[in-house]
Amino acid sequence: MKKDDFSHARRDFLKKTGFASVTLLSVSALSSIIPSGNLKVGSWLGPGEAEAAAAPENIRDKLKATFGDRKVKMSDVTMKVPIIAENGAVVPVNISSDLPMEEGNYVKKIYIFVDENNDPFIADVELTPANGKAALSLRIKMRKTSQVRAILETSKGALYGTNKTVKVTIGGCGG
Amino acid sequence: MPQGIGKIKIRLPKTIRKGQVIAVKTLITHPMETGFRTDKKTKKKVPAFYINDVSVYYGDTLVTHADWTIAVSANPFMTFYLKADKKAPLKIVWKDIKGGVYQKTVQITPQ
Repeated sequence: MKKDDFSHARRDFLKKTGFASVTLLSVSALSSIIPSGNLKVGSWLGPGEAEAAAAPENIRDKLKATFGDRKVKMSDVTMKVPIIAENGAVVPVNISSDLPMEEGNYVKKIYIFVDENNDPFIADVELTPANGKAALSLRIKMRKTSQVRAILETSKGALYGTNKTVKVTIGGCGG
Repeated sequence: MPQGIGKIKIRLPKTIRKGQVIAVKTLITHPMETGFRTDKKTKKKVPAFYINDVSVYYGDTLVTHADWTIAVSANPFMTFYLKADKKAPLKIVWKDIKGGVYQKTVQITPQ
């Protein structure tokens, strides 16, 4: 979508709703829909603008390098992680999704990112329709308390994701 | 530091129906050194040593491929799913950055 389209959409939106009725909530919803400046990346760093702005620089760069300006839908992915990990060296991550796994329409890649690690990219797993289900369990290392992100890429190029915070009491990268 | 590198365990369900989507649980012994850790005795950095490539073949087809980094835990445990629609061997190959190749094959026999 071009920027002009956005401003049109925005104008229409404002016309329809009326300025007075634009509540704080819809303003924040609007800003997460319209990418502007840093929020291009931020649109998939978290459901809200504040969360996205709080994401550290290296994860922004990493996600941008991996996915460009494509949007991530924050739906259709379930991720199970511990709320508190006593040992950052072994954090079990369980990702699953009910997205279709048919020929021509399947989840082709599952990515795992951890914001606060030296390299936020942890692993990716390429799948095929022969897997039957888009799911993955892996034990990962976390340097410190951080957001853990799972992003699924379908064969059609759509991106789905989710993120959760894991509190780490002992870091897991050695040193 | 764990004893022995490349010990592999693969766990499948006891009975598999044809067409069933099964969980394949895999475990391999590997230190997965990050390169950041310091040896307490020698005070030297332990060089990075980790598995970065995992391939899963069902029959002759590559069905799953994984790229790992240092941030996968030591003795990596991974579960993925597979649609058991044919009688065929399931071969899993792990490769580490020092050229180590570890592999194991199990038979998938749907009833």
